[in-house]
Amino acid sequence: MNRPRLAIAGLTACSGCQLTILNCEDEFPDIAARFELAYFPMAETGCEADALFDAAIVEGAVSTPADLATLFRLRGASRILVALGTCALFGGVAAMNNAISTREELLLQVYGEGEKVPESFAPAPFCNFVSIDYGITGCPPEKHEVAALLSALLAGTLPPVRHYPVCTECRSRENLCLLLEKKELCLGPIIQGGCNARCPATGIVCEGCRGPVREANVAQELELLLERGFDREEIERRMSRFRPEWNYGERR
Amino acid sequence: MGSVVEINPLTRLEGHGSVKVYREGVRVERVELCLTESPRLFEALLIGKSYLEVPEIVCRICSLCSTVHKVTALLAVENALDAEVSQVTAVTRELMLNGGQLMDHALHLYCLVLPDLLGVRGVAELAAKAPELLKTGLAIKRAGNLIQEVVGGRLIHPVNICLGGLGQRVGKEKLRRLKDELEAVLPACREAFRLFRTPFPFHELPASDFLALEPVDLPLSAKLCRMTGGGSFTVRDYRDHIEESVLPHSNAKYARVLGREATVGSLARLTLGASLTGSALDIFEGVKEEIISRDIRGNSLAQAIELCQATERALGLIDRLIEMGRDGGDNLKPVPRQGRGSAACEAPRGLLIHSYAFDAAGICTWADVITPTALNQGALARDLLALARGMEGEDTAQMTTALERLIRCYDPCISCSVHVMRV
Repeated sequence: MNRPRLAIAGLTACSGCQLTILNCEDEFPDIAARFELAYFPMAETGCEADALFDAAIVEGAVSTPADLATLFRLRGASRILVALGTCALFGGVAAMNNAISTREELLLQVYGEGEKVPESFAPAPFCNFVSIDYGITGCPPEKHEVAALLSALLAGTLPPVRHYPVCTECRSRENLCLLLEKKELCLGPIIQGGCNARCPATGIVCEGCRGPVREANVAQELELLLERGFDREEIERRMSRFRPEWNYGERR
Repeated sequence: MGSVVEINPLTRLEGHGSVKVYREGVRVERVELCLTESPRLFEALLIGKSYLEVPEIVCRICSLCSTVHKVTALLAVENALDAEVSQVTAVTRELMLNGGQLMDHALHLYCLVLPDLLGVRGVAELAAKAPELLKTGLAIKRAGNLIQEVVGGRLIHPVNICLGGLGQRVGKEKLRRLKDELEAVLPACREAFRLFRTPFPFHELPASDFLALEPVDLPLSAKLCRMTGGGSFTVRDYRDHIEESVLPHSNAKYARVLGREATVGSLARLTLGASLTGSALDIFEGVKEEIISRDIRGNSLAQAIELCQATERALGLIDRLIEMGRDGGDNLKPVPRQGRGSAACEAPRGLLIHSYAFDAAGICTWADVITPTALNQGALARDLLALARGMEGEDTAQMTTALERLIRCYDPCISCSVHVMRV
């Protein structure tokens, strides 16, 4: 059997999405046997830079010319491009200030004036530059979603896409509702589920790390939070943590 | 005639980097270590965020070290707000750090370093050629990760540890399950040092100036940084003793500590007298002649000893949590106030410092993170030059392999290192 050739790489990110693949400890020997890890610099030496791939699984936001070059190269060299994680899909934490400060200001704050400043632009998701074939959200992504993707790739297909908010799983776990009952700033209603409501299950509000659910009722969430006494600035700051652009008037 | 040998990308480590060796004939003129990770600018992104948000955002600096970043940030914010957490919180956080260390060292040793020892390309070839060894390593890693999952609520970027306390206390049943899993890998941890005792096939390097936190009994209360060859300073005053500058070829800043190039990490901790116990101590006593007062080549062995230490320590902490039962104190709710706070922890790769300032409303006005890889950068560059010079005239491929292996001794985490401090 021909083993599918994979590229696994990262752009501007924390390597957490790639680590999630290595965190599949029970499945990893199987993954290594069934796929050819042709390009995976984090775990393999001697990667073929100019090879062709069946699938490229890439994490991170695009924020430098080098990121963009890597993204274009992998898009061109790969039949399927998977955006792995919230940064790749929505910009993620690197992009949180895109709407309120310029990249130049941030660079100046960190690297100082008159010194060498790295070349960098406002961090953006893949879809601003290339077409993607599949996305796995999450900061970090869930292991089972990575495993589902790899299984589907072996079968020559892609996994189904989910469209339900964090609240769906949260309610079925019978957690106390942090938004309605404890009046906390929980983003569950507008955020993509699939995490089995990890955070609310430990009593911590949903911080929105999985990005927006399709047809999110953003305006309703905003009204609920305003009614509970949170100010608009704080709400927008929280909502921008993993995705800078929200349409606060979006209503379903 | 001048020539440049480039290793790009550096592989089997976290993040993006490259090395350039500039040669004049066979003579090595200089070696450039380029940490080319995209700038992440966390210190700037945190400004304007509330004290509650800072730890949740800043742990995203790095996935491998997300637990220790979150804990250090929590400690620094609590220090600024003058809040002291309960015993149960402190013990739980320390348990998380031990789990993080176990996961991280196992990943580094068994997935990234082991291929060097067996002469294979990487983890995929390991799976084919040494499946049992890889499975052992993955089992140890899995046990560390299980602590993250069960106690922290998530493998990466833990959620259950928060400002002033815990989301949820971990129940006895879960703790007992964790204990079983850790006990199951303890024999493998005790044997790990034999594998990573294998000497490195390159000659002696300059002796290191090691830097580590002074070990203390109470969990997470270390306040003093000590350096071999004399010198110490408190975490609170770290800015007076750590000097950083920007290098033209690297996105991480270059740090000097007390005017010297510091080396941090496992070997630094063992050299400066980490409080080892149980079989970790026995192993250390047996091999210390090989690694103490020497150079960085002993770091993998030191990490292997720490695998054992982290597992045994975690087991002890779990026992304490089980004993505490429902006692050990409640969460507290820190109140915002104007102030500045700093804290330091020993991350898997070495000393990590976080420091923040807040205004009266609890909004962050200043943030600073000093990472182990930024601290190690000077010593690593120095050792790369020494190694390349020592191999003048030898085969280029052999030299690049040796240089990559040397870099792995330092176990760098490049995405951490580019979150440099402000000048």
